[in-house]
Amino acid sequence: MDLQHRNNVKVMGDGPATLIFSHGFGCDQTMWRYLVDHFTGRFKVVLYDLVGAGQSNLGAYDKTKYDALAGYAQDLGEIIEQFASGPVILVGHSVSAMIGALTDRQVPGRIAAHVMIGPSPCYIDSNDYVGGFKLEDIHSLLDTLDSNYLGWSSTMAPVIMGAPGQPALGEELTNSFCRTEPEIAKQFARVTFMSDNRKDVTGLTTPTLILQSTDDLIAPVVVGEYLHAVLPNSTLCLVANVGHCPHMSAPSACSEAMDSFLSPWVRTHVD
Amino acid sequence: MSTDAPSLPDPQTLFEEAPCGLVVTKEDGTILRANLTFSHWIGFSQPELCGKRFQELLTMGGRIFHQTHWAPLMQMQGSVAEVKLDLVHRDKRTVTMLLNGVRREHASGSFYELALFGTTDRDKYERELVKARKVAEDLLREKTATETALQNAQDELKSAYEIAQRRASFAEQMVAIVSHDLKNPLTAIKMASDILARGERTAKETRMLGHISQSADRAERMIADLLDFTLAKVGSGIAISPSTVDLHKVVSQSVGELRIAFPKATLLHNAIGAGRAYLDADRVQQIIGNLVANSVAYGDLQQPITITSRQEDDEASVSVHNQGPVIPQSLKAILFEPMTRGTETDSDARSVGLGLFIVREIAKAHEGHVSVDSSTGSGTTFDVHFPAIDADRE
Repeated sequence: MDLQHRNNVKVMGDGPATLIFSHGFGCDQTMWRYLVDHFTGRFKVVLYDLVGAGQSNLGAYDKTKYDALAGYAQDLGEIIEQFASGPVILVGHSVSAMIGALTDRQVPGRIAAHVMIGPSPCYIDSNDYVGGFKLEDIHSLLDTLDSNYLGWSSTMAPVIMGAPGQPALGEELTNSFCRTEPEIAKQFARVTFMSDNRKDVTGLTTPTLILQSTDDLIAPVVVGEYLHAVLPNSTLCLVANVGHCPHMSAPSACSEAMDSFLSPWVRTHVD
Repeated sequence: MSTDAPSLPDPQTLFEEAPCGLVVTKEDGTILRANLTFSHWIGFSQPELCGKRFQELLTMGGRIFHQTHWAPLMQMQGSVAEVKLDLVHRDKRTVTMLLNGVRREHASGSFYELALFGTTDRDKYERELVKARKVAEDLLREKTATETALQNAQDELKSAYEIAQRRASFAEQMVAIVSHDLKNPLTAIKMASDILARGERTAKETRMLGHISQSADRAERMIADLLDFTLAKVGSGIAISPSTVDLHKVVSQSVGELRIAFPKATLLHNAIGAGRAYLDADRVQQIIGNLVANSVAYGDLQQPITITSRQEDDEASVSVHNQGPVIPQSLKAILFEPMTRGTETDSDARSVGLGLFIVREIAKAHEGHVSVDSSTGSGTTFDVHFPAIDADRE
């Protein structure tokens, strides 16, 4: 199987350790564009699209395999195997943080560290756990995805007039970013928001940086605190940010926090 | 008539009363300004809207969608067009709107400028479309499933047919082998009894030799019948090899032989028409033989048995008539089925109950048919019809 084609893998930069960026539900690897340049000078950087997202090979989308996050975790393990060299640090946004944790459980010892951006091990409230959502909220999301069906089938295009002073996002990216096959989007939404990975993360000893936005609807601060409590070697870093994508809306705060966390894996210059 | 140009409404009125909702927010969604139209649509006053986050006006599904999709899009491509959103009106009902938005840099910073359009009817229409598509997909799935089931059924049928073919061919072979093997000892028995009959015998010995000979003949007929039965019932059908014959001659010869076989019966032969027909002569004789044997067994031997061969209008037929008891209606329906017998007589002519079945099968093999007519007064007539001579066959 051609992983490069399947997951639209991009390799760049150089360094003794490998950073693998894994995007979350909704978009694709393009979302890392504000962060990646900061690291390519010191790390080997691997970007990829989850199967079903962005420019991955939609033909590889297997409804059975991807009916659980374990399917995506298996893919990530294969990508590490083929493209990573040296210590591997996974940078996972949102659901990809959990995919990374599952991969860590599948190939113990292969992953040196995790950077989890807006992670949540479980979105739905239960008993004494606060995930931030009720089951009907998730059904409401699935309904929203349904009602945007026609929009999904094509693209969520920018307005024709555009906006002045826009970042130069190439046409080809504009046309694929955030576009998903409606059926795949629905299944991925269900798999993501119905998942419960609390058992998988609890006691995971791999060093982990949790980047937690101060105001995030998808992953509230209490969830970040929960993860910090169950991950023995974790650091919780609050980033002043509204929204679920601090790596896009507050990239410098993110890269600063990552720099100090990643320092053990950076080549020290001996002149 | 005035020469003044009509004055346009001032920009403030244009903004407030535009035929769409207009909202300006900070990058985090905090509403800085919303026009009157939007305020009316959503049910909150303009002061209430200011300071609220735009995403707070969405349904929960819409909020997640905002966070995972259109917020990153606004960030990445600076604008979105025609995103459908469900907003929650002050009175809790859902208002569906289409959103166009751009991120615009001003001297004082970046703002999101949003234009919203009511889209309730279009939303209904789209939902109908989605529903229709789902129905179509379900139907397609159903059709595919039906086709698969049909294919499976056909495969099963095919394999069942193959099994049946194999069994039939096995049965045919077995019966053929058994009949053949039985014929040899019978022939030996007949030859031996013939040779014995040539010498000087007591009356008792002669009678016993007669019994041996008759029984051997009967056994031979039974074997032939069984072989035909097997071919017709489980095998490939009774085989015929037709040729152009003189029907009257064939029947006449058969009647002659039957007179010797049934000396107590009176057999009459009627020939009608020219007589040229395309038939298997041996099989026709077998038909006559079986029908006459039946008449002898069940008919009134005080009255003649009439055999008629007829060839008119390109149609050939043979019939056998006897005066005897009427065939009961209940028996008529199953008369031609195998193992059917008439009254329990103990005649030597009786076979295993395959005679009429074989008559019918031979008629069928000729693409003809057999019928029976039985009534008080006019007696019983079996009539075998053969179709018109096919010129191609000659």
